[in-house]
Amino acid sequence: MSMGFSANMSFIRRAFRKSKPKVISVSTHQNTWRDYALILVPYLWMILFFLLPFLIIFKISLSVTQIAIPPYSPIVTFEEGAMQIILHLENYTNIFTDPEGTYWRSYLKSIEVAFFSTFFCLIIGYPLAWALATSKPAIRNVVFMLIIMPSWTSFVVRIYAWMTIMKKDGLINDLLIHFGIIDSPITMLQTDFAVYVGIVYCYLPYMVLPLFSALMKVDYSLIEAAYDLGCKPVKTFFTTLVPQTKSGIVAGSMLVFIPALGEYVIPELLGGKGSILIGRVLWQEFFNNRDWPLASAVAITMLLILTIPIIWFYKIERKEQEGAYGK
Amino acid sequence: MEKTPLNTAKGTDKTINKVQHRPGDLPGQKPSPAEQNRRPILEIKKLNKTFETFKAVDDVDLTLYEGEIFALLGSSGCGKSTLLRMLAGFEKPSSGSILLDGKEIIGVPPYKRPVNMMFQSYALFPYMTVKQNIAFGLKQDKIPKAELEERVEKMLKLVHMENYVDRKPYQLSGGQKQRVALARSLAKEPRVLLLDEPMGALDKKLREQMRLELVDIINAVGVTCLMVTHDQEEAMTMADRIAIMDRGEFIQIGGPREIYENPNCRFCAEFIGSVNIFDCTLLSSNKQHSLIKANDFNNNIELEHDIDLADGMPLTIAIRPEKIYISKEDPQQDTNICEGVVENIAYLGDISIYYVRLLSGRLISATLPNVDRFKQGLPTWDDKVYLSWDPESCIALTI
Repeated sequence: MSMGFSANMSFIRRAFRKSKPKVISVSTHQNTWRDYALILVPYLWMILFFLLPFLIIFKISLSVTQIAIPPYSPIVTFEEGAMQIILHLENYTNIFTDPEGTYWRSYLKSIEVAFFSTFFCLIIGYPLAWALATSKPAIRNVVFMLIIMPSWTSFVVRIYAWMTIMKKDGLINDLLIHFGIIDSPITMLQTDFAVYVGIVYCYLPYMVLPLFSALMKVDYSLIEAAYDLGCKPVKTFFTTLVPQTKSGIVAGSMLVFIPALGEYVIPELLGGKGSILIGRVLWQEFFNNRDWPLASAVAITMLLILTIPIIWFYKIERKEQEGAYGK
Repeated sequence: MEKTPLNTAKGTDKTINKVQHRPGDLPGQKPSPAEQNRRPILEIKKLNKTFETFKAVDDVDLTLYEGEIFALLGSSGCGKSTLLRMLAGFEKPSSGSILLDGKEIIGVPPYKRPVNMMFQSYALFPYMTVKQNIAFGLKQDKIPKAELEERVEKMLKLVHMENYVDRKPYQLSGGQKQRVALARSLAKEPRVLLLDEPMGALDKKLREQMRLELVDIINAVGVTCLMVTHDQEEAMTMADRIAIMDRGEFIQIGGPREIYENPNCRFCAEFIGSVNIFDCTLLSSNKQHSLIKANDFNNNIELEHDIDLADGMPLTIAIRPEKIYISKEDPQQDTNICEGVVENIAYLGDISIYYVRLLSGRLISATLPNVDRFKQGLPTWDDKVYLSWDPESCIALTI
């Protein structure tokens, strides 16, 4: 028994020894197709679920609405043997020439909300990330859990929770009245304030995490060097910490700004009827007015607006890699 | 005959070793700044730093004189870096005072202290050019542009980095980074320059070269300098005075030569260079003569001065390996001699170290320059040899 077993083992060992050089030669020379296969997976994913839908939306944006299924005119038609391609651009011109200015107003409002939300996230997130990066590992793990744990519950449920906290007879008003700070409840729901609270609350982790990872890599002796050379605390922050964490600041800001710009649920549940953000406009055009072409044009325009900060982001990233630390 | 200063007990008297230099007495020894009646610039008094229960710096007193280079020498964890960081303002002392030009600086934030530091890892700003790095400190003082340019230019020239103004730190070699770091810390003309392990990030060859260069630059500027190092060679080549630190206390302060030749305790003798230590008993001592019995060999040790100790008391004799003569023939003397067998020889290029086993079993090291060693007739492995030394080569230590 034991003889047979050990014989088997030695066979396996020999097989291993033999196969080893083969594996090396395969991995160095003949596996370019594997590289392609590997990279094809994410590409396929992006083509199927991003590029294709994008092209469909783009196509719809160039048609006009009609009462039919689907509710828009075809771009390519055949009539008496002639192929006609009709591209309607009026959806795009409508966005900017709308007499009430609904669209560009809501774009501006969305940009404003996204910008200030990002700003508040940055202001709250930076000290938080700093505290995390400089705390003891044991405490750090606990705080990390506290930051990430809320995202285990549904996003919508958490927004509803904020509704009960901020409503007229909600937690905040009750507490403030109880302690005699105010006499009558403050209206918080259906205001921009509530929208900001909701967005900052939901997107804060996306700001904190990249900031934290940037702060972990900071060379703290640079702070001391700046102090030593006569730089006052606030200026030291901007001359040593900010440049070193620039990539984290930009990444965090992008992660907040981009989704906040198209945010629909939070303004819908917490925001007032007066402030119309682009997400709500999209919803209304698609589902209430069933004007798919116009809604598509609004969506495409929003995407174009977003490409500006994204391009800027990549520029900074590239500069960072080439600039201070070499390639 | 002069009396060899024997140590005042370390535990009982904390103001250790009032340095008493005799100019010209020790060849090769620079006169200490204290002797030249130079003005004290930095006075540290009863300085303490406690981290929770750990005493990092324990009741330290130190006076730095204008223009001197002073080295804090000690192994890691001895408190030297903490002391330096307290001077820079990065650590707050638990008690005591630090007077710079007679003014208390404890409580003054680091950015207001006229003291600059060269960091061990240099801490150059990676996103700034060489020039911007050097100009950084001056810019904080809002110095007019023309003067700033001029001073930066002067600094660049001083450290020979004029051709690298627009480089970023990552494009520089280790030695170049160090020069930039030095220029940056000198640009503001600090009252005291602090150097934290100045050669710590350099390789050995470059280290030796940079030591002298650094001293030249510091002397050219004339700045008072306090450096921290664990490398005794570095301390001895660069510093005018050295303080040996252990567990937050100064054990001995003195010039390089004094510390090497006259260590005041066993710790210092063993810390600086290598040494053979013998446990001994004092047999007799009078004004010109002391006779000592060593436990490891039969012949007695004889010194030509007295030892301030009662007869029959234990003491330690330290002898440096390079001061021991090694020979195959009996030098025919009654004292300061012992015999043994060559057990091992380590060849170091310039010298060889002989490890000689005494009859008692003790292993003694003695060095011989290789110029001598390869002459005929010198001892080799397993030879029976006589080790002898001059009376003045012995260092008598009571603790």
